[in-house]
Amino acid sequence: MIDAALRREFEAALGADAVLSDPLQLRTYECDGLTGFREVPALVVLPRSTEEVAAAVSLCAREGLPFVARGAGTGLSGGAVPVAQGVVVSLARMRQVLELDPEDRRMVLQPGVTNAEISRVAAPHGLYYAPDPSSQVVCTIGGNVAENSGGAHCVKYGFTVHHVTGLRVVLPDGSVADLGGDAPESPGPDLRGLFIGSEGTLGIATEITVRLLRVPETVRTLVADFPTVEAAGEAVSAIMASGIVPAAVEMLDSLAIEACEAAVHAGYSLETTAALVVELDGMEHECDEQFERVVALCHEKGTSHVRIATTDAERALIWKGRKAAFAAVGRISPDYFVQDGVVPRTRLSEALTRIAEMSRTEGLRVANVFHAGDGNLHPLVLFDEQAGEAERAERLAAEIAEMCVELGGSLSGEHGIGLDKACSMPEMFGETDLAVMRRLRTAFDPDALANPGKVLPTPRLCGEAPGRYRPHPLEAAGVIERW
Amino acid sequence: MVSEEPPGSLRESGPSTPAHGGAPHASASPSAGTPAAGTGELPTRVRPSGLAEAADALTDAASARRTVLIEGAGTALEWGAPVAAPDVVVETSGLDRLISHAPEDWTVGVEAGMPLTRLQELLAPAGQWLPVDPPTASGGATLGGLLACGDAGPRRLKYGGVGDLVIGATLVLPDGTVARSGGDVIKNVAGYDLAKLMAGSLGAFGLVARLNLRVHPLPEATVTLALEADDAARALDAARAVLRSPLEPVAVEWDGRQVLIRFQGTAESAAARARLAPEIPGLAAARALDSEAEQAAWRRLSERTRGEDGETVLRAATSPARLPRLAERLRELTEDTPVEARLLSGLAQGLHTVVLSGGDAAQHAACLTAWRDAVYEAGGSATLRRRREGVDEAADAWGPAPSALAVLRSLKRQFDPGGRCAPGRFAPWF
Ligand SMILES: Cc1cc2nc3c(=O)[nH]c(=O)nc-3n(C[C@H](O)[C@H](O)[C@H](O)COP(=O)(O)OP(=O)(O)OC[C@H]3O[C@@H](n4cnc5c(N)ncnc54)[C@H](O)[C@@H]3O)c2cc1C
Ligand SMILES: Cc1cc2nc3c(=O)[nH]c(=O)nc-3n(C[C@H](O)[C@H](O)[C@H](O)COP(=O)(O)OP(=O)(O)OC[C@H]3O[C@@H](n4cnc5c(N)ncnc54)[C@H](O)[C@@H]3O)c2cc1C
Repeated sequence: MIDAALRREFEAALGADAVLSDPLQLRTYECDGLTGFREVPALVVLPRSTEEVAAAVSLCAREGLPFVARGAGTGLSGGAVPVAQGVVVSLARMRQVLELDPEDRRMVLQPGVTNAEISRVAAPHGLYYAPDPSSQVVCTIGGNVAENSGGAHCVKYGFTVHHVTGLRVVLPDGSVADLGGDAPESPGPDLRGLFIGSEGTLGIATEITVRLLRVPETVRTLVADFPTVEAAGEAVSAIMASGIVPAAVEMLDSLAIEACEAAVHAGYSLETTAALVVELDGMEHECDEQFERVVALCHEKGTSHVRIATTDAERALIWKGRKAAFAAVGRISPDYFVQDGVVPRTRLSEALTRIAEMSRTEGLRVANVFHAGDGNLHPLVLFDEQAGEAERAERLAAEIAEMCVELGGSLSGEHGIGLDKACSMPEMFGETDLAVMRRLRTAFDPDALANPGKVLPTPRLCGEAPGRYRPHPLEAAGVIERW
Repeated sequence: MVSEEPPGSLRESGPSTPAHGGAPHASASPSAGTPAAGTGELPTRVRPSGLAEAADALTDAASARRTVLIEGAGTALEWGAPVAAPDVVVETSGLDRLISHAPEDWTVGVEAGMPLTRLQELLAPAGQWLPVDPPTASGGATLGGLLACGDAGPRRLKYGGVGDLVIGATLVLPDGTVARSGGDVIKNVAGYDLAKLMAGSLGAFGLVARLNLRVHPLPEATVTLALEADDAARALDAARAVLRSPLEPVAVEWDGRQVLIRFQGTAESAAARARLAPEIPGLAAARALDSEAEQAAWRRLSERTRGEDGETVLRAATSPARLPRLAERLRELTEDTPVEARLLSGLAQGLHTVVLSGGDAAQHAACLTAWRDAVYEAGGSATLRRRREGVDEAADAWGPAPSALAVLRSLKRQFDPGGRCAPGRFAPWF
């Protein structure tokens, strides 16, 4: 319980304007981008520095209060949903770029700096920050670290974990530690790597060192239309098998295109069943050479039309259409869920066919727009809450994620497990695996105060029954054993 | 635990036999060959084949409260602080199967005792490789060893280290528990990534039994340019010039005498890069090596980084800009002493290696301690990889304790509460 005396202690540490306890104000923190989960916290604090975060967390530790870090609240797995009676530590006031070193191509950031801001600040030096989640204009680097966020370009450039070399973190006991550093090696286990993707359950990142890349000399982008989703899938496989590593390979199906066009008029064809966005970047010479091969491969696999961006503006428009896709779906449906799952790339067609079947069975439309290059699906389940379809939609979304695991993939490629999928974790991991992950969490957070109830299933949330575990296909085929 | 392999079928090679083939360095390793602490006997060597046997080996050791050293090819058993003579040495050379390879998905699954060179042979026919520069000699470094060492070659600049290429892992914890994290796909954020706990763990947190890895297409061509530079500041300038250019080098290293710049791509684009590089201001003197000279140059760099018996090798990580100052400090420390110091640096990433020869152990210890202090003052960190005999008596293997020490200790307690795995490896930290 947070009584007036304790609240005054928070105020003394952070300043009165940095502590919110008015119910109306608290309500604005009740959910993240996945609005189905809501909980009003007891208190919200808005620290400005590592010291203030440490002070707030120390008070939580002393009082045994659970706390939840919060960036921009764009998360799509309920990761930033507050804990009842707990504290939300909002990083919204920690928006400073602490250091920019163009020679060594690194930047040190406070966690509330937005993803897009990093590249904006780096741009005058010909540098940029590679991971580019579609939410980049709003989402924070702290949230990216917590989710190990990716984006359209991670098939070539990797995820957040590949671009963050060092972290200053406030541990759940309120102490401060540096993980990693300026260079990509440090003695002992890779604590930096463990922290990235831990969804706020191991502590709060307060200073983040990122490496920057030189802006590539050339970028070439095309949109290729295909008569079937399968044909588009085959083109993806052909490109990836050719030895070319594209910067991005994205797919949109007709429903997703319809939504995007309604929202931003990006020039995608309304007649086509599937469209691929393929982007190559790098040295001009090499890009041109490989781009020709990509175009040829698209034709080989039966494209009906290839549109090549000839100006930066045209390229930007293609991406605007793609990145607006989630929100655009709001144009064609009153409500929707964004699902996130991964299948081995070679099973994309199979996965899409099964999604279509499942969609028919439930009588709900599913739009597909996704990172095809790495098999990361983002099915958008469309429904009408007013018409009582929410429960069916939720079931369908969950079934799709579980199908991904069944096909040898993963429950999540980038949005995280959070609250949403914690109870599905036993679909992917055995009891022992989860118990060992729990040991790891305990090592950082013995009292389970940092974002409790996320990532790992708990009996309170998921029931006492041990989760189902379906054998991995390789296991079923006898290639690997089960433990 | 369920197992498809019959339990209790461990092949123990007994105290005196130096193991089955495939672990040539085993008996020569300093710690593994000496008598076990409590018993005064040579350690028992076990060589599990397969996950089930590996789990049995660690379960058995746990129930008998015996200390354990995990050994891959034995090429880096010296890294970190010396391990007290173990009761049991678990060799991973029997964990060498290919589990799966899905060329179109860019993934491969292997047992972690497989040597890197073997994996490359298996991947090559599909036009793929694990982008870790190959240990050049016949050392046979294993994938598990590479991960546990947190090591990577020069092309880390483009691809990251081994840990960055792991997409899934199966571990056997010191108590015999088998756990899996990650998966088989190249993008996946479900659950904690236990492989990161193993990266750099130097065998002190459990055994890596299996790894799923992301593989990459083999580059069609590579080309290397060499530029004479006997001065750190000049070398750094050259590196920065090429990094500012659009040429996208995949490795930029300095061996103390010359800067090596590597490009790759299609045959045509690699050649174009080599042609364009000397036009960059400051790189006019860079000359392209023919393919034989290229191989030789990188092999020499690898050998010079690794050092030899009797030498002391320290690896340091700082921001690249610190190099000239650190080079100067090293010169000051060795001036007027019989110690000779060689400094090499991954210029783009700030990974420096110092190799000391000449002089005696006390002088090595003094030099390494003082230079390491300079590294820490520069905001960096360091790992002792090799030492002349006697250095351990005069210098700590590790520098100042990291601010995350409490977490490291707590992890050690969670994963190896008895402190039986590689005891002493991280002394005096834990
Ligand atoms: C339209 C849209 C498109 C999206 N596209 C993508 C995409 O392409 N790729 C992708 O990966 N994701 C995408 N996302 C998901 C989301 O934007 C990312 O997960 C993002 O990283 C969340 O950042 P945030 O600042 O909003 O974090 P929040 O939602 O506030 O928090 C997310 C999690 O991080 C934790 N957290 C936040 N800050 C910190 C900190 N400083 N230290 C420790 N933990 C912290 C929270 O506790 C929570 O668990 C998209 C979301 C939307 C709404
Ligand atoms: C000639 C030569 C050249 C080299 N050049 C390069 C190079 O170009 N690029 C490069 O990346 N590296 C290079 N290396 C160094 C290489 O990183 C190490 O030698 C290698 O990582 C060690 O592998 P190993 O199997 O010999 O491990 P070992 O020496 O057997 O063990 C090293 C450490 O890892 C632990 N360990 C080993 N296996 C496991 C496991 N399965 N699970 C948990 N812990 C384990 C051990 O306990 C020990 O602490 C080179 C090495 C040699 C010998």
